[in-house]
Amino acid sequence: MSAVLTLDNLSVALKRGRGKPVPILDDVNLTVAAGEMTALVGESGSGKTVASLGIIRLLPRGAKIAGRVQLGDTDLTRLNDAEMRRVRGRDIGMVFQNPLSALNPTTRVGNQIAEVYRLHTGESDRAARARALDLLGEVGIPNPADRLDDYPHQFSGGMRQRVMIAMALACSPKLLIADEPTTGLDLLVARQILALLTRLRREHRMGVLFITHDLSIVEEHADQVHVLYAGRSVEWGRARDFFDQPRHPYSQALLGAIPRLGQTRLTSIQGNLPDPETRPPGCRFAPRCAFREAACETAYPAPDTTGGTVFACRRGREITQADTLDAVTESPPPRARTVDGTALKVDRLAVDYERTATSFLRGIVGRKDRLRALEDISFTLKHGECLGIVGQSGSGKSTLGRAVLQMIPYHGGVVFEGESFGAMKHRRRRLARRRIQVVFQDPRESLNPRMRIGDIVAEPLKLSGISGQRKRWTQAAALLDRVGLSERMLPMFPGSLSGGQAQRIAIARALATNPGIIVLDEPTSSLDVSTQALLLNLLKDLACQDGLSYMLISHDIAAVSYMADKVAVLNGGRLVEFGPAGDVLAHPRNDYTKELIAASPHFRPRAAQGGRGGADEMPVYATRTAQHETAQTKEYNP
Amino acid sequence: MSNSLSQSLAAPGGMLRRSAIERASIWIGDRGTLIAGIALSVFVLGFSLVGGLLYHASPYAVHGHHALQPPSAAFPFGTDQIGRNELARLISGGYATLIVSIPAAILTFMLGIVYGLAAALGPSWFDKVLMRLLDAILALPTLVVLIFFAALVPLNDFSLVVLLGVTSWPGLARLVRNEAIAQRGRDFVLATRQFGGGTWYVARVHILRVMAPILVVNATFLIGDSVLALSALSFLGLGVQPPHTSWGGLLQTGLNLIALNPWWMILPSGAMIFLAIMAANLLGQGLLARFGAAR
Repeated sequence: MSAVLTLDNLSVALKRGRGKPVPILDDVNLTVAAGEMTALVGESGSGKTVASLGIIRLLPRGAKIAGRVQLGDTDLTRLNDAEMRRVRGRDIGMVFQNPLSALNPTTRVGNQIAEVYRLHTGESDRAARARALDLLGEVGIPNPADRLDDYPHQFSGGMRQRVMIAMALACSPKLLIADEPTTGLDLLVARQILALLTRLRREHRMGVLFITHDLSIVEEHADQVHVLYAGRSVEWGRARDFFDQPRHPYSQALLGAIPRLGQTRLTSIQGNLPDPETRPPGCRFAPRCAFREAACETAYPAPDTTGGTVFACRRGREITQADTLDAVTESPPPRARTVDGTALKVDRLAVDYERTATSFLRGIVGRKDRLRALEDISFTLKHGECLGIVGQSGSGKSTLGRAVLQMIPYHGGVVFEGESFGAMKHRRRRLARRRIQVVFQDPRESLNPRMRIGDIVAEPLKLSGISGQRKRWTQAAALLDRVGLSERMLPMFPGSLSGGQAQRIAIARALATNPGIIVLDEPTSSLDVSTQALLLNLLKDLACQDGLSYMLISHDIAAVSYMADKVAVLNGGRLVEFGPAGDVLAHPRNDYTKELIAASPHFRPRAAQGGRGGADEMPVYATRTAQHETAQTKEYNP
Repeated sequence: MSNSLSQSLAAPGGMLRRSAIERASIWIGDRGTLIAGIALSVFVLGFSLVGGLLYHASPYAVHGHHALQPPSAAFPFGTDQIGRNELARLISGGYATLIVSIPAAILTFMLGIVYGLAAALGPSWFDKVLMRLLDAILALPTLVVLIFFAALVPLNDFSLVVLLGVTSWPGLARLVRNEAIAQRGRDFVLATRQFGGGTWYVARVHILRVMAPILVVNATFLIGDSVLALSALSFLGLGVQPPHTSWGGLLQTGLNLIALNPWWMILPSGAMIFLAIMAANLLGQGLLARFGAAR
């Protein structure tokens, strides 16, 4: 197998502030073979993005690189800037996480693709345009000839990512680096993008370096897996070997943290990833490892290459996945839920959005366009139950949450603990609203950066009329304790928190009003897998303690299956399936539900997962959402 | 192995040990602007407010034999055309300038915040009305409006503060409104509303607090603008009235006699106006750099 890319002891140090450079990545050895996909997996802070930027030499100023980056026969670290510029785009294609910021919003996509081609090949405008058209077709954009002159904003998220891939392919590169290309996309769309990459790399014999934090998404597509932890490789090898028998305790715990069907408890890794400045001298995972020995803390273990995957762990031979799961998974709490009485009844709920006027004049005289975001939604939620709401983005999941929270106007009835919001007087309504709480997706965005954590958590208490900061902070300390945080955090500001800690603060704040229902709007989708596991376990424990009900809004079926008692499936603003979680997820009746479940690879039980290499591309289903999106797009494009 | 990189970086003292000079230069490094701003502000304020206590000379006494003299031992900054001590006049002019400019800036600041928040947090029709009104006010040239009103009302410190205050708030109001609109839809504001936090509470506790850095920075710029506006008015004879004087007034007197080349009457007052505005701007820039990162 010919290697397209070989990293030979690649180390990168970055300048932070005014001090000396801090090592971020140490001695990474990695190969990407022609026509194969190597998945570089790590949680945030593991150094995976620094690795990709190190390869294409786009690191921030003051960065130091050591080791070799071998692309074919050339060592990229020896090239000068001008030579490196020619390599980027011609020999290495790049696809980034956020296609909207990577594409120029003022330039037609056809011209953007053509420009890359023209720049590197010196071909004529006409030839470049023809090439752009071919590429758009190749990456699966319907009617490419019609879309060539569209602007990036006229494409949906998945289609934009396809445009990015077309740009990356323009000069038929030997290597494609994809840095979290599917993060932020729906699972259905993410799967399509992965299938596309798999087809393209096979057809063009192109190596793909796929960088992600999500092991589950690469399970079916990667040939090689390379796991990074705190800037060091902990385990690498053939994907089949890795997923069959992960050896490193970190890889094992990471796999155990992914929710799967029938799992009663997720693996949670205690502690946090060390900062680059304070990395331990020995094995970097040692402080969090359940199997550490004295030797682990003093010297980095030599990689074990005796068979299967290569791993850097002294005890990797003896420790099995089952050991890890036993060691780091506490037993689930007794399921003493009080399921009696209706907490919430939603009756024929509908929500309209007013579309913003397309011109100033129409804004004044024109009839306001209404867009039905939700239609005819009815369900009930009992005390202590968790209702999972699933659907693609644009299906109306979040809108449903906001209507229940009384944040937006709606038609129909929302009855909370026997009382309809429509019938409540102003004051009564305010008090009732307080008992339906919310936890948002982005924990940083939901905490005021200029308030101390004590004041943030105690804010609901203050608004409920509890006076005296000392008294409030005492209660806030108790709330922090419930979500597993120390009261030492009270005087800190949110800026210093990790994503998982910030989300715990948001949960503590939501608990302050002793709510009956908490609406969880994608609470874990911006977090790493291991942090998500900790948080889902916490939420489960909290619900068991007092008959708290949840509405868990998520596009992640696996997380929903882990949490929910009932599942509601939304598509295009309608409830297409509703019922007990076990029934709906195990025996979906609706086609759309089936499709959603099929798109969650890690949701299926591992044993039933058959052979890998799901290279068949999934058809692009014309769901109601998709049609709606196209219709909207047409309007901007007379 | 190429561990050399990590080794050289992890060498003893690599991160922590720095000499005192190194530490000081690092500390000053990103605070240079702020420190310069503070130093200059202290100088300008000290000169104008405390200067009169240290330099005992009357700004009004007429020394007939010494009219229009260049700097000398007796009159360090020379004398004006009727023999008044220019240094004493520069100090009292500074006092008169700042005693009007700073309260005027504060008034502008408060008007701008109230107007901007009212537009951002009120109903949407109210926002539309307030913003169109703002456009109308912005369409009028501030100086012309100032001159118009200055001609109508008796000019004293109080009326000057009000005049400057009520003519210069629209820019800040627009800034506050746009920023508040960006903040009002953020998740932590939505969460607060879910707890029952009212509009006034949200404005006070969340929106103003998040905007604090921008507001502090703009407040300093407002002082600079205000000094400039008062100087311009005084230059036109519509500011601080004789026999009192201001920096703008001193500059005007000097320029009227330009044919006689009284450079000592022009340069000091011009320099003080320049330094006062510079101080406010450096202070603002410095604060922006300090706070900006934490947003």
